[in-house]
Amino acid sequence: MQLSITREVLLKPLQQIIGAVERRQTMPALSNLLIRGGDQNLSITATDLEVELVASLDMEIEDHGATTIPARKLLDICRSLPDQAKIAINSSNEKIKVSSGRSRFTLATLPADDFPTIDDLELDQNVLIKEGEFKALIEKTAFAMAQQDVRYYLNGLLLELDAGQIRTVATDGHRLALSQLDHKSDIEGSRQIILPRKGVQELLRLLSNEENEITVSIGKNHLRVNLANLQFTSKLIDGRFPEYQRVLPEESDNRAKIDKVSLKQALARASILSNEKYKGIRLILDNNIMVIQAHNPEHEEAEDEIEIEYTGERLEVGFNVVYLLDVLNAIESDKVEVIIQDANSSALIVSPESQASRYVVMPMRL
Amino acid sequence: MNSIQQLPPQLVNQIAAGEVIERPASVLKELLENALDAGATRIFVELEQGGMQSVRVSDNGFGIPKEELHLAVQRHATSKIKSMDDLEQIATLGFRGEALPSIASVSRFSMASNNSEEGNAGWIISTDGREFLEEVEPVRQTRGTTVEVKDLFFNIPARKKFLRTEKTELKHCDNVLRKIALSRFDITLIAKHNDRNFLEVNSCDFLSDGSDRVGQISGKQFADQSIYLENAATDIQVKGWISLPTFSRSQADLQYFYVNGRAIRDKVIAHAIKLAYKDVLYHGRFPAFVLFLEIDPSQVDVNAHPTKHEVRFRQSRYVHDFIRHTVGKAIAETMPKQEQQGAEQYREIVDDYIRAAQTNSALPSNSYMPKSGSSPSHVRETGHGYGAQVVNEYDLLLKTPPEEAHTAEEAPPLGYAIEQLHGIYILAQNANGLVIVDMHAAHERIVYEQLKASYQQGDLATQPLLVPLTINVSPQDAALAEQYSEVFLKFGFRVERFGEDSIVVREIPSLLQQADVNTLVLDVLADLSMFGTSEKLEQANNELLSTMACYGSVRAHRKLTIAEMNALLREMEATERSAQCNHGRPTWVQLSIDQLDKLFKRGQ
Repeated sequence: MQLSITREVLLKPLQQIIGAVERRQTMPALSNLLIRGGDQNLSITATDLEVELVASLDMEIEDHGATTIPARKLLDICRSLPDQAKIAINSSNEKIKVSSGRSRFTLATLPADDFPTIDDLELDQNVLIKEGEFKALIEKTAFAMAQQDVRYYLNGLLLELDAGQIRTVATDGHRLALSQLDHKSDIEGSRQIILPRKGVQELLRLLSNEENEITVSIGKNHLRVNLANLQFTSKLIDGRFPEYQRVLPEESDNRAKIDKVSLKQALARASILSNEKYKGIRLILDNNIMVIQAHNPEHEEAEDEIEIEYTGERLEVGFNVVYLLDVLNAIESDKVEVIIQDANSSALIVSPESQASRYVVMPMRL
Repeated sequence: MNSIQQLPPQLVNQIAAGEVIERPASVLKELLENALDAGATRIFVELEQGGMQSVRVSDNGFGIPKEELHLAVQRHATSKIKSMDDLEQIATLGFRGEALPSIASVSRFSMASNNSEEGNAGWIISTDGREFLEEVEPVRQTRGTTVEVKDLFFNIPARKKFLRTEKTELKHCDNVLRKIALSRFDITLIAKHNDRNFLEVNSCDFLSDGSDRVGQISGKQFADQSIYLENAATDIQVKGWISLPTFSRSQADLQYFYVNGRAIRDKVIAHAIKLAYKDVLYHGRFPAFVLFLEIDPSQVDVNAHPTKHEVRFRQSRYVHDFIRHTVGKAIAETMPKQEQQGAEQYREIVDDYIRAAQTNSALPSNSYMPKSGSSPSHVRETGHGYGAQVVNEYDLLLKTPPEEAHTAEEAPPLGYAIEQLHGIYILAQNANGLVIVDMHAAHERIVYEQLKASYQQGDLATQPLLVPLTINVSPQDAALAEQYSEVFLKFGFRVERFGEDSIVVREIPSLLQQADVNTLVLDVLADLSMFGTSEKLEQANNELLSTMACYGSVRAHRKLTIAEMNALLREMEATERSAQCNHGRPTWVQLSIDQLDKLFKRGQ
């Protein structure tokens, strides 16, 4: 195979798909990219057997064929070449030659046939959605996913679709994030899939805030998203997500409306003197005042006070401050509303403007 | 179909022998225990071919009357207990009345005894593995009893095949002798093998000469690097020697535990000691110990196993906690003291080094020879350009500050810091000579102990789970979790039974948020079913604190000032367990003036 290409044209897709290539592998082929040249089209594939990313470029190919090339080395070479450099790639039997100007590189290759591709896709459902809206759905909840939990089904994001709505839910067992969007589709009943953590992170990197529509295809075991010049495919986690509806707390009269920025700053200040390992803080809500307290094993103490809108009963609740700050970072509005039934039950945090995104945080016993 | 028959007594004895008599060492054990039960103070043992050809034990105990000799070799005949009440209060080593007939049924056996004050007026009874001869014959025998067991298993070829080489059998006999020798310090025990002296210990006083005997039996290294401990409560008492954490074994061989003089191996005890050594011992290493537990005989059931290696404690939890507490406290007190010599095993290394230095005229390594230009005297030479007075002032500045100019006698145990070596070690001077401290290891221990203390004081913060964790377990474990839910609660776990074979965790300690709760709970359940208690939760906490301590302590290559180094030394003296870092490595070594003198051949 033979092709020549400008540095910038190649660099962007390489950077987009490189995330799928793991740094350490047991299968040598997985550290390579599959390059396939057709008539008017070049496709580059990266995979870790769970997530597959395919970039395609419209261009003239001098000589058709397919080969594989070490992914990170190719990226590093492209990155270090001067702007607008012309790169020529030439593959013969066992080696690949990459040259640009007076720089020449010879890279090892593996047969294209050894490169694993995701098969038996069986995609049976297509949903059209605006790219920006889809990104927002994921962005607002992804932070609450578990990491390497033994409950493997928590290490991912739940995507729930029915005829009128699309919903994302994530939880690590301590807190939960839910976001939903009204969206008409032809789905019968409701459908739940769990997208693994790595897939979620890669997808977030690829999605932009554009208004254009993209196609999300769902199969029994896979999810595929077609973007301009890029195709994202991920395996799904085979498991049952916990019944998140049961975790959402009931409505309560103890509702506090708080200015987001001042709450965030006060929490950050108080947390300096909280326990460095689990970051516990105490919130006291009473008659339009919120007191934030923290102390650590060295018996140092912090206390901060902010004005809020609150007329419910006096409440004293402990929280992991990291969970609260995560939620505040995910909410866009200027004010947040915290709804708490009592000191032992979970707190619901929402934006007062819309309840499309809801966050549940379990209190901590201090 | 065969008919049911009463077995002949001979066969019954041989079957019983299968339980107790496994090899020459088991014969030796039974005979030695009989001698001790007979009140002997001197015991002679003669072995031939590792005991396979002959085991002969003579004692100066009170002997057996002529009329009872015949009875002594009968099954279920003993002088040690009489009634059921005695069985619950056993103070002797034996009591089953099985050993002699069992041994006699599988060997050529003879027993001579004299219970009178007259010498040479004994009686002997013998057999060749069948019925005993009716007659007892007169024999020369001083007061006491001599038992000779020849040709063990000569009539059971199948068993004989299982005997190993002479060397292996002798090693087993050796273990038995050592166990017995350590169990009673007031007896003299002399053992010969193939007519050569093999082991000889003289009676001695427990308190004054005890550690000498321990050294003789279990190695001088252990005796030198052990601490003596003693603790008593109303009905229980423990005393003995335990190894310093810096002396550990790769296998659990140097471990002697006696309950009322009986050597046993017990899971509960082993666990208690293991816990006492937690976080001072290198992973996978074993402590060494010689410990004596005295407990009311009614509180312990020795009738649990024919060879009596295992015992049952009526209040095993109490005994467990008592041992753990006593040993743990002794270890906690291993901090630098005036008398102590630092990690002893390293003295040997130093001694070896000195020896090497003395035999080779060349120094083993010359890479650390003082280089000109880096020696401290050069600092002073830079003063050349100034007037003499200025130089003098510099000299004054260079002198050690007054608060460090103590005489050697009043210096604290670890002395005062002199310099930091390559940013890793602190060199300090104390009354004995030079102290070398591993800065990071020492600081890590100090931070760790502080963290542990502050976390134990503070309230336990817990995190209720939004999505409770369900764990599938066996029905027994589920019942156990239900039963011990209070224990879990104490450590911040709310665990509830959830149906027949699963439990649900509703709340976890905030500190362990990132831990693998599933495995942890299962480990705790395993411990609970085995020992009735578990330290796994505390251990998980401590592991976390240990990591925090590692990050929170000064790293190598950090420059410390003299004041900082001195502060560290003082903190080490005040911190429990500070002679080892969290992983069991020593934190400091003493090089005495004597050893330094040897290095330089001073005064020779």
